[in-house]
Amino acid sequence: MEGRASRQGGNGRTKVDRRVPVGMITGHNRSRAQRSEAKRENWPGEGDRRTTERRYGPTIDPEEERRRPPGLGRELKEMERIMQERFVPRNEGGGLGARLKKLLTGGTLWEEIRRIQLRHRSEVVDEFGFDPKMADQMGPLLRFLYESYFRVELRGHANLPSSGRALLVANHSGTLPMDAAMLMMGMQREHEAHRMVRPLVEDFVYHAPVLGTIIRRMGGVRANFENAERLLERGRVAAVFPEGIQGIGKPFSQRYQLQRFGRGGFVKLALRTRSPIIPVAIVGAEEAYPLLFKFRGLARSTGVPFLPVTPTFPLLGPLGLVPLPSKWLILVGGPIYIHESFGARDWNNRVLVNKVAEQVRSTIQSMVDDTLAKRRSAFLG
Amino acid sequence: MTTADRHSESDSRPGQGDGERVVAISGARGMLGSALIRALEEDRRYTKVVAFDLQKPDFALQKTVFHKIDLTLPGVDAEMARVLRAEQVDTFVHLAFLSNFTHRTSWAHELESIGTLHVLNACTESRTRKVVLWSQSLCYGANPGNPAYLREGHELVGAAGPNDTYISDKIDAERQVRQFAEEHPDRRVTVLRMAPILDRDASNFISNMLSNRTIPVLLGHDPLLQFLHSDDADRALKMVVDEDHAGVFNIAADGVLPLRTITGLLGRVPLPLPLALARRVAGVLWMGQVIDVPPSFLDYLRYPCVMDTQKAQQKLRFFAERDIHEIVAEMAGRIEADRRVA
Repeated sequence: MEGRASRQGGNGRTKVDRRVPVGMITGHNRSRAQRSEAKRENWPGEGDRRTTERRYGPTIDPEEERRRPPGLGRELKEMERIMQERFVPRNEGGGLGARLKKLLTGGTLWEEIRRIQLRHRSEVVDEFGFDPKMADQMGPLLRFLYESYFRVELRGHANLPSSGRALLVANHSGTLPMDAAMLMMGMQREHEAHRMVRPLVEDFVYHAPVLGTIIRRMGGVRANFENAERLLERGRVAAVFPEGIQGIGKPFSQRYQLQRFGRGGFVKLALRTRSPIIPVAIVGAEEAYPLLFKFRGLARSTGVPFLPVTPTFPLLGPLGLVPLPSKWLILVGGPIYIHESFGARDWNNRVLVNKVAEQVRSTIQSMVDDTLAKRRSAFLG
Repeated sequence: MTTADRHSESDSRPGQGDGERVVAISGARGMLGSALIRALEEDRRYTKVVAFDLQKPDFALQKTVFHKIDLTLPGVDAEMARVLRAEQVDTFVHLAFLSNFTHRTSWAHELESIGTLHVLNACTESRTRKVVLWSQSLCYGANPGNPAYLREGHELVGAAGPNDTYISDKIDAERQVRQFAEEHPDRRVTVLRMAPILDRDASNFISNMLSNRTIPVLLGHDPLLQFLHSDDADRALKMVVDEDHAGVFNIAADGVLPLRTITGLLGRVPLPLPLALARRVAGVLWMGQVIDVPPSFLDYLRYPCVMDTQKAQQKLRFFAERDIHEIVAEMAGRIEADRRVA
């Protein structure tokens, strides 16, 4: 169930013991897997990555990524250090007179305005607006939620390859998208390569005032085919929640019943970019925000799809936004290489796409069910 | 730009031998036009430059011939065609577009939309074999549905504003040029969609906005912005005049930065306004001609309008030399210098 992975020496590839029956998707033998691994090395998107990111931003070289575990955040920080050297006005020295003159002419005021504004911002963001300083500052809160509050247990994270593209597909639950944050946190802390997962965020959250900006700066990317393609082509890890709003907005009585998987956009994505799909089951998030009702009428004017009613919200006001301390378990399944069974051209075969999406959905559903069967209590685990 | 794209596969060498080329430039007195004339004056491959504008460029001209032309006048196309034929112009660079929003919307429409019509008519009637159009990233429009990086094939939506034709005129010009390319498959048509130009001397809506001590921003919104240094803009323009590259190309500097980070780096005070209030206030101020930026521009402070420059890198082999940080640092230097003078 945990999808035990055993490291294979030398080429640094993981071979996965898949116990989840995925039927036709995984109907391939190992030698075939290896052959297309070799093919994957010189896929066009990989080769020209250097030219497209030649001038700006971290050049994600798979070799280098392997050598330097902290990854993107560290490279951005290094760039920021260089930027700071360029921007911070050099101390021009001078005695008391010069300093007094500077103060009177407003010289320090200008620096002060800058300093205050850049207190919570880094001077360099990556191409999707990820702000390492912001992530650092939110770190303690997320760490608290991860370690002490939800007591997240992450299993099977070795199923995520240490380098190269991958598409995490997870079930969605909880009224606030807390599951994405915990998945990100988990992979960053516990994966051997400390891989950064970029969750693809629903539009109404991404463009929401304040919240959307925070999510973007913490690494969220707007859920859009082109954006996801760009991420994967650059060898990053994207996380999708194909249930979308339906997943967040299902009532408590339907907890852990996976909703329709969108229109299978993630399958097209995996086929187009030749990325492995890695199923992820998140258990515990449903109990964090048990949804009793949803109000549609009131919400329409504000742009959110519905106004959630949980046992504590809106009864306790903003305090009701505090999640219940459920015990979480995140299970990462073995990678599914659908692009090995099907060609890149199949991405517009709608019947096939739907079939594969349904297979992945049932895989995740069975992972969720197995975990639920073993779980004794929602809050104690 | 399907037709133009089809032709972009073809050769990218100059069509004629050295020292035989003649280039005409509309909007020659503008910053891009002046820079292009300077570059062409020094280039031996060009025998002559024909400059069209209302006023003569303010520097000494050697091989440049100036013709006073008002693109808004009827019948100007025949006049231009006569000049193009007489001078044997092979390339027309159409730069006569406004880089600032204006309250004179009907005049702007005549200049940009009808002006392009006149230019294309003149090109049809002469033996111009290449047309280069300057366009802006604003044409894509800032929409919630935009991908993080807009490709050339994306639809040009512009901004939805009843009295705001600034962007729709530019989109119309692009549409006309696209049609021209389809009707004349034998002529090379290049469109450069450039990000807002920002540097020490730039004078457009974005540099004016950032020159203010306080900068209005929308509460809770912080879009990623993209710029272009004028050196790179000039270089890109010269490149497509020198070589033949049909099609549309996004030209922008590498890197993006959020608006609030830019105000921070520039030491400007952001003034956060709630969207509903900002829209109303901007509407009233625009109507009263107090501000020069229409309320529809608020979308650009809310949603992303950032271009993907991969096509220019791969097909033109154009790489911007200044990234966004150098551009913002230069702008900071300009602000610092202004402050010292004051």
